Amino acid sequence: MGGRGVAGTAGRIVALDPDRSLVRAAQADPAAFDALYRKYLAQIYSFAHHELRDHHEAEDVTERIFLFALEALPRFREGAPDEPGGEASTFRVWLFRIARNAISNHRRGLRRRPVAPLEAAGAAPSADDVEGGVVARAEASAAWAAVARLPADRRQAVVLRFVEEMSTAEIAGILGRSEGAVRVLLHRALRAVARDLVGSGVTR
Amino acid sequence: MTAGWPLGADGPEALATDRYLDALLAADERRADDAPAGLSLDPAMRSTALRLRAELVRVHPSFRFEDRLARRLAAAASLPEAAAAPAGETRVAGAPTPDLPAAAAARPDGTLIPFDRGARAPQDRDVRFGGPDRRPLLVGGAVTSAALSLAGAAFIAWRLTHGSSVDPMSRAVRLVRGGRELLPRAVS
Repeated sequence: MGGRGVAGTAGRIVALDPDRSLVRAAQADPAAFDALYRKYLAQIYSFAHHELRDHHEAEDVTERIFLFALEALPRFREGAPDEPGGEASTFRVWLFRIARNAISNHRRGLRRRPVAPLEAAGAAPSADDVEGGVVARAEASAAWAAVARLPADRRQAVVLRFVEEMSTAEIAGILGRSEGAVRVLLHRALRAVARDLVGSGVTR
Repeated sequence: MTAGWPLGADGPEALATDRYLDALLAADERRADDAPAGLSLDPAMRSTALRLRAELVRVHPSFRFEDRLARRLAAAASLPEAAAAPAGETRVAGAPTPDLPAAAAARPDGTLIPFDRGARAPQDRDVRFGGPDRRPLLVGGAVTSAALSLAGAAFIAWRLTHGSSVDPMSRAVRLVRGGRELLPRAVS
């Protein structure tokens, strides 16, 4: 469960970044970025997939996120978000903030383009598209659908908490909110999903 | 950023929910079979949390995508690195403009550098396969742990055990850098 150890007692993300040595190595030699890439690829891709619900779109935005992170890494500074004059955080929080912005930009781009063909294709994978079929079945789960219907900030908080197992402090750092606000966000999201599942008659 | 929750009537309930989620995730982490009681929580909320925990799985990219992006990052890391970047910053070529054409790690003669599939940082093996996370995982759309094919299992096992000790990205960078030293400096 990554990141738990970085949640500070005063609600801060204290400067105990578990990726410190990897980050320093990559800042000294960009080739060493590979270790960070391997460690976080699945998390970032998964977050993008949960947000965009499309394999190809998730790949596209994941690529941009890591290319941007590689370029911006020299400017990354570890620290607590509430440090005077500081906005940096752990590497994971920093990377997910990049991801959140990139996904948001990507969504805006998608809204300017028609997406119906993609969604239609995703809804009916071809017979030889085994991978697409498995994803489609997973996404057909009522829980996934209920989460997808949440407003963006609640949905992201749920995915970060349940899928990426992040602490409230980390999610607060990524969403740019207080920990208290994130708790309320998660509570309301859970309540909305519970009502949604009850309403659709799929509770168990 | 504060730890408080003075955010309306939901504050105390939100704190209870947060504690329950902490306990739920911690139970998974220590592989406890029983879910935390969470008696202070509405049963509907509790069952929803359990359900989300079980059904919201991580989606993993395909190995093909992982390798392709690794090559592109290697190429980006090796190109006009530190090209007169200000204040000691490293300017990484190929970074993040949306319209950037795809790059690949290539030798000076233009042939692609074969990717070493075997190498992987030891700490990542646990994270991704067979490590503490025993929840279902979607790999490029294919479910592992729940529906892993024999061929897929063999491939993953080979991927984790086979290969040199040399990091693939470093190897690609060295090859590109080494090749470039043979080229005229006019190439920028």
